Amino acid sequence: MGNPSRHHIVIGSGVAGSQAAATLREREPDSRISILTLSSLLFYNRYDLPKVFRGVRDWREFLVQPPEYYENNRIGVRRLNRVAAVDSARRVIVLDHKEEVAFDTLLVASGGRGYVPEELTDYRALMHPFSSYTEALRTANALPEGGHAILLGGDMIGLDLARTLIDTGHQVTLIADDHAFWPHEVEDAERAGFLAALDHMGMRVIDGRAAGGIAAVEAGAKGLSARRVALADGSEVRGDVVMPFFGLTPSVEFMLGSGVDIERGLLVTPGLRTTDEAIWAAGDVCQIWSDEVHRYRFFYGWKNVRAMGELAARNMTGADDPWVSVQDEHLRLTPEGAIHSPFWEYQ
Amino acid sequence: MKAMSTDIQIAICGSAGDGTIAAGEILRNVMAGLGYKVIAFDVYPPEIRGFGKCIARMRVTTEQAYSLKPQSDVLISLDDSHAIPHVGEVRDYGAVIYERGSIVQLAEGGHISAHVRPAQLPYAVPLRELSEKSTSSNRSRNIVALGFLAGLCGLQEDTFLNALSRKFKKKPEVAESAQSAFRAGYAESADTFKLDDVVFGPVPKAPVAAGSAVEMMNGNAAVVRGCLDAGIENYFGYPITPATSIMERLALEMPKRGARLLQTEDEIAAISATVGAGFAGARAATATSGPGFSLMTEMLGLGVIAEVPCVIFVSQRGGPSTGMPTKTEQSDLHIAVYGGHGDAQRIVIAPTNVEGCYRCAGKAFEMAERYQTPVVVLLDLYLSNRYETVVFPARPPFAPNQSKAPEKDQLGDAYRRYALTGDLISPRTVPGDKDGMYVATGLEHNELGRPNDQPQNHEAQSRKRHEKLKAALAHPDFTHYKRFGDEGAVDVGIIGWGSNFGECLEAMIKARAEGIRCAAMKVVMISPFPVAGVTGFMDQCREVLVPEVNYEGQFANVLQANVGRPVARLNRVPGAPMAVGDILEEVRRLAARARRGHEKAAA
Repeated sequence: MGNPSRHHIVIGSGVAGSQAAATLREREPDSRISILTLSSLLFYNRYDLPKVFRGVRDWREFLVQPPEYYENNRIGVRRLNRVAAVDSARRVIVLDHKEEVAFDTLLVASGGRGYVPEELTDYRALMHPFSSYTEALRTANALPEGGHAILLGGDMIGLDLARTLIDTGHQVTLIADDHAFWPHEVEDAERAGFLAALDHMGMRVIDGRAAGGIAAVEAGAKGLSARRVALADGSEVRGDVVMPFFGLTPSVEFMLGSGVDIERGLLVTPGLRTTDEAIWAAGDVCQIWSDEVHRYRFFYGWKNVRAMGELAARNMTGADDPWVSVQDEHLRLTPEGAIHSPFWEYQ
Repeated sequence: MKAMSTDIQIAICGSAGDGTIAAGEILRNVMAGLGYKVIAFDVYPPEIRGFGKCIARMRVTTEQAYSLKPQSDVLISLDDSHAIPHVGEVRDYGAVIYERGSIVQLAEGGHISAHVRPAQLPYAVPLRELSEKSTSSNRSRNIVALGFLAGLCGLQEDTFLNALSRKFKKKPEVAESAQSAFRAGYAESADTFKLDDVVFGPVPKAPVAAGSAVEMMNGNAAVVRGCLDAGIENYFGYPITPATSIMERLALEMPKRGARLLQTEDEIAAISATVGAGFAGARAATATSGPGFSLMTEMLGLGVIAEVPCVIFVSQRGGPSTGMPTKTEQSDLHIAVYGGHGDAQRIVIAPTNVEGCYRCAGKAFEMAERYQTPVVVLLDLYLSNRYETVVFPARPPFAPNQSKAPEKDQLGDAYRRYALTGDLISPRTVPGDKDGMYVATGLEHNELGRPNDQPQNHEAQSRKRHEKLKAALAHPDFTHYKRFGDEGAVDVGIIGWGSNFGECLEAMIKARAEGIRCAAMKVVMISPFPVAGVTGFMDQCREVLVPEVNYEGQFANVLQANVGRPVARLNRVPGAPMAVGDILEEVRRLAARARRGHEKAAA
């Protein structure tokens, strides 16, 4: 039944964190459960974000659970809370506003944020990232009806959005680089075929001429494109928004100094436990030891992330189950010549 | 998102010294200036700085509102330790605006974000940082928060900047600093993703009679305006919360008009001087609170027996003794009506809103003169400190000198100051009037004013002093009582008085919306009691409820003593205004009982 004085803290309110909180509550009706999140919103599914281009703008329509769910299940949610540090020795989380919160078990499910290659970091202010509801809405507001979106990189999150943009009458140009189709691992021999499929879907694809810079077109020039992207060959592409899709980088800065092992993400056992016995990790933030490939690796996709949240919660509450991927990871072409990723199967 | 009408309540909560009340004042003045109806009430601690909790609450509406709502739409925290208990008062999908950081280590739960419920919308704002960046000081966090709120609500930045300029017009550097802080908060709002806008509807275009003026003020300020418009000539007082600001404001205004104000050494001196000035023919007043009024009651008796016009404003607070000096209560009604020795009936009136404070203040001078008696105007902290938009008439509605002057042939040796006339009001002279000399003492006297303790005389003079006051029940251009809501027979009638009537009215409106036949009556004239009017109302009510912010049901006691019928009582002493929901719940209970009565009668 759980111990009422036992405090499970989950950092992150995405798919992994929210699933973990639900499972924790199922398994321990009496324990205290708190979610700490940077978001101002309760859990929403980021895979649903392209819906903003289909006219769904109200944040309430993105919530997976209504507010009453959290109150009825006694799951505390502290929004706009940034974790500054985790003191694993004292079992304490230090929040950015100098508040300390004690935990008995901690699940880090802080996810990943959009990666931007170093050569483009100076242009962040000119880009429209698309990893949160806020960012999605800002992008939707910046992209006019029938407007032109320039996608850089070309990971599967971006390509998923591109499908919606084309479907809703926008122009899409993809400036592909090595991150195209991430997190799928695409062989060189297959790449041309997949890129052709994108072209078939209605995208303009520019490959092999990575973006070298972005500039804002003079403000106030009504009817003109707002952004200009310089390509490696000296040519340029003009569009209304420039969106980075170079894959994700784990959000683990606050874990530096916590004592747990970190490579790119938090290193966890097949049971999702970190090198600290009270700290687990799940989702895009963790690298799981794989006996198959004999290295730590990431597992992506909504199904995997949700399963990780559930597994971590089970193991935090006494189980000892190993991680098994539940996600097909192969990119395919459909008989119609379209591209299909199992990562898009989140409906 | 556009709103057709507006009903938004904002609460700002901080520690004394945080500028909580100042921020509230700026906001409510701006909203009133835009044309919205505003009702506001500030709660502050007895300590001067750095300790207690301050809350400025205001309800901004398109249609007239009569009380604050139990739940706010927005809470601004300037001090989490004080604001945390009030997070629960914010409605679902209401906004909680708070300081993002902290300069001290916080224990678990010490930050307000730990208390924001899932259904509420958090806005973490770097108030301190923005204040320091914009003004080189952290003291403008309140103005930064105001700027953020204005941006969140889509209010015009210039309106506030102009208001700040006006507020600090004598200190341009302060105005400039405040404007910088406001701009910083406003800009932060533009950069903040807004979950929900707190949307104000179109500014109402209420018709205002030509020459009339709409102003935002609190009850004490309205009392002062009433005194000035009625031509007050002398004021004597001793400071006491929550009446002090009456003297403070009068001290600024009376000298400009050739009138005199003196802060006396205590309340006994204040009432003595007031009675003395009234005796001398001046329109004179004092103001105090319960503890001060206790000290005044002996001299009040002199005013009654000597038939001296004077006005005493009593702003009630939590008692007895020092009690709760900065909390509201309606527990001085007994002492106002009955306090003192002997049979010393006086006029007691109690306004129910800020506009009523103005009218009652002015009318009190008329009544004191016309009926030659002390008049007590009962206020309370909630009314004294409550801000409302008030429409003032183009010309003051108060009559000048109402004193009944003697005819020529009534003067001289035969002058009978206490003559038993037909209306029992005697011709009155003041010192200096030719051939109008008489003796005025605290002794029982005959018609000439000479000491006389004969039984027949005491009977006659006692009757005179009581019966003459009945004419006040028909005092012209004065609302002694008034009925609202359903006409004719109703299931539940609410009878309210003083500041609490706004809550009674809101409860009545809600009850009617639920299909309950309900009416409400406010009683302004409490002594002498308007028996006929109240009885007529009660005749049409199957159940009568009297809600009061006191423990003893003091008004219900007075009512029952006069009317001789039982009423249902609802008494609360939270030190705060009564919750409309509490009254409504009682109305529902009584309505159910009334229905059962109908059914029984039908069977």
